[in-house]
Amino acid sequence: MPDVTTQTVPAISVSNLSHSFKGHQALSQVTFCVMPQTLHGFVGPNGAGKTTTLKAICTLLKPSWGEIQVFGNSVRTDPIAVRRRIGFMPDHFSMYRQMTVFEYLDFFAAAYGLRLAQRDQVINDVLTLTDMDGRRNDLISGLSRGMQQRVSLARVLVHDPDLLLLDEPASGLDPRARIELMEILRELRRMGKTVFISSHILSELAELCDSVTIIDRGQVKFSGPMDVLLESPEELPTYNLRLAAVFDNAMTRIRELPGVDDIKEPEFATGRDFNIQLTPSLSANEFLKSLLTLDLPIASFSQQRRHLNQAFMDLTTRGVRT
Amino acid sequence: MISGTLMLFNWSLKMDSKSIYPHVIRAAFSFLMFFFISVAFADAFGTSRTGLRYFESICFLNVLLITVCGVSYFVTAVTEEKDAGSFALLRLAGMTALSITLGKSTSRLVSSLMLLVIQMPFTFLAITLGGVLWQQIIASYFALAAWMALVANLALFCSVRCTTSGRAAGMAGSVLAILFFLPNIINGLLAALPAGLLSPTASGLISSIPETIARFSILDRLHELLQTDNTVVFLGQQFWISMTISAVLFVISTLTLDFWSAPADVAGPSENASIRRWSVGRSWQLAIMWKEFIFFTGGRSFFIAKLIGGGFVFAGFIWLQRSNGYIDYFTLRGDNAWIAFQTAAAFLALEVLLYSSGCLFYEIRQSTQSTLAAIPISGVRVLLEKAGGCLIALIPAVFWLCTIAISGYEAVARECSMTMVISFLIVLAFSSHIAVILSLYTRWAALPLTILISAPAFFCLAAPIFGLTAATNALARSQHIEMTMLVSAFVNLFWTWLFILLPLQLWIRDRWNDISQF
Repeated sequence: MPDVTTQTVPAISVSNLSHSFKGHQALSQVTFCVMPQTLHGFVGPNGAGKTTTLKAICTLLKPSWGEIQVFGNSVRTDPIAVRRRIGFMPDHFSMYRQMTVFEYLDFFAAAYGLRLAQRDQVINDVLTLTDMDGRRNDLISGLSRGMQQRVSLARVLVHDPDLLLLDEPASGLDPRARIELMEILRELRRMGKTVFISSHILSELAELCDSVTIIDRGQVKFSGPMDVLLESPEELPTYNLRLAAVFDNAMTRIRELPGVDDIKEPEFATGRDFNIQLTPSLSANEFLKSLLTLDLPIASFSQQRRHLNQAFMDLTTRGVRT
Repeated sequence: MISGTLMLFNWSLKMDSKSIYPHVIRAAFSFLMFFFISVAFADAFGTSRTGLRYFESICFLNVLLITVCGVSYFVTAVTEEKDAGSFALLRLAGMTALSITLGKSTSRLVSSLMLLVIQMPFTFLAITLGGVLWQQIIASYFALAAWMALVANLALFCSVRCTTSGRAAGMAGSVLAILFFLPNIINGLLAALPAGLLSPTASGLISSIPETIARFSILDRLHELLQTDNTVVFLGQQFWISMTISAVLFVISTLTLDFWSAPADVAGPSENASIRRWSVGRSWQLAIMWKEFIFFTGGRSFFIAKLIGGGFVFAGFIWLQRSNGYIDYFTLRGDNAWIAFQTAAAFLALEVLLYSSGCLFYEIRQSTQSTLAAIPISGVRVLLEKAGGCLIALIPAVFWLCTIAISGYEAVARECSMTMVISFLIVLAFSSHIAVILSLYTRWAALPLTILISAPAFFCLAAPIFGLTAATNALARSQHIEMTMLVSAFVNLFWTWLFILLPLQLWIRDRWNDISQF
């Protein structure tokens, strides 16, 4: 479990990070923060600078400008301390394929300085967590892609890091393997780990992540809680109402309630579903109170949120950066 | 099929012409020829037949280069696709087996033949230097071209047969070593065996092996050509036999490509767990050193095999000596001792160069450098641990070299001065550093390029080493310092490290750190 001090400082703090490769500006003034014990999504189109940022955070890349701190340790001045607290899983398969699963994990456990006596226990634990216990003596070269991904995840866990940096962990996995991977990530968050996950699979990120950073063409377009992103800040708050049964004049009666700006039935309406737009002065609570006075059988009432896909499309620019 | 073959062929040639390294190799070879011309020019004042000596050097350097290309460049023709997992994609793109073998291998052969063609104008200078005829030059180049075709197709066969480039290189290297050394070993054994031990039929059968190999041996053919002042046959027996074997190997490679290229990865447990536990064991606290020793250099089983193999070679020399009348079990004498020492030194040098050219490339090939760089230890320690793993694997070779040196001390000391030993060590250290650097820039050309660079470097380094040794020796003696040889050895090694090896080591560190970012 992370120590108490980790609660007070951000897990990752990136400020004004800039980097260029041979005159090409890969990152420009990137600034964001990830709090401990959260699952943070890192999203962006191809070539947006996700992997560059990740590599800078995990000390593999020395940025041209800016400061990165991991649990208060500077990546620039104290890379070894940073590496002890992170587990980095790159986006490509980088494994010693001639090793067995156990040998692979044993090698990394020893490389992180674990004593022989500790290693057995740790390897057993991570294999159980990733559900690879039955394949410990298999050669890595003989494992499927999904299983290799699990072994990779087990590898980043052997030294019990506080922060996991996962670059496209679900790429190339079948739906079942993806769902299982997401379950493991949820379990890791429950265990107190901070998970920083770069992914293209937006629907799963929306369900999984507490916070998100969207990056496009080397610049941060949004960074903050997922809920804030999924609200539509420019539009009036919209709510979805479903009635338990079809009622005559229900739409007219609701429109007459105070604070209702607009009401319409969604596409393929059944007569029971309505999208209600309220004026900003009226809270959802007040509206619900007045709605109950109409004595309609309410089945559900929820705020309409943007999908992460929509937020992503709104914030990012079309085409690939040249 | 033709379009596919042409596409692959074109692509390979384009890649070859776009890449800077083949041009560097050719330029380096031209430089080397210039170097030999200079040597020949210097020799011309003292000896006759300077042109012949110059041309001889070029020919034997070509043989060496072609052979090294066989185990490094040609051998990856098909395995590089297998390593990258793109072999199946080639088949999906409608490439037939013939398209692949033709497109992947023949382009390399053509590109390498260019290396021979580029030499032609320079080698004709040998005629003006004297001692060699234009017919001898042409015939020698035909012989070399045939040897190249043989080596390229042998390497292609190994590339088709093996699942990885490393295994293919090992197989090709073993076959080439057999071709070079088997005739001498068999002849030596037959001469050493007591008369009447083998039946005439068996003896005839065994003695026919070296004769058969000699028919297409490039070394024998070159010796024959360079000693002939009379009629020269342009296309000799060696040419035709080599070309026939090449064609047969090409056909076999094409026919068996599909059979041997089936996916090798089979899910399931590794080999017998107890054998695996013994051969691999648990990771040491110095984990990278362990990984390097176990998975790169062959590990415990290979270590023991080398130890036993060295023992057999040593016992072989003792046995040969006993057949000649010496009854000592532990002491090597005369030529036997010197040959055994040279063999052990050559084996050590080869092993050092193989490890140097492969140990970092092995990480790059598996894309594991960034994973390794994320471990909380410095890049320098990673490199040192890798070197440590390789040094452990060198113990059998060093052990047998020392054993032979002690066993045949008198003869070895007579033939080999301390300065020669120091020069050998320094050049070996220099070459191994160069091999490491080159492996961080090129794909498979590190080993041949190292040999190309090391050959002139030996002369460049040896002269100052001899001078420095003599100067230190004289100075130490004038100051009445004892063990002057050790002092001079220390001085030499220190200066070499400071001015040659340290800059190379810093270069390796920086390049490794750069590569680890990707």
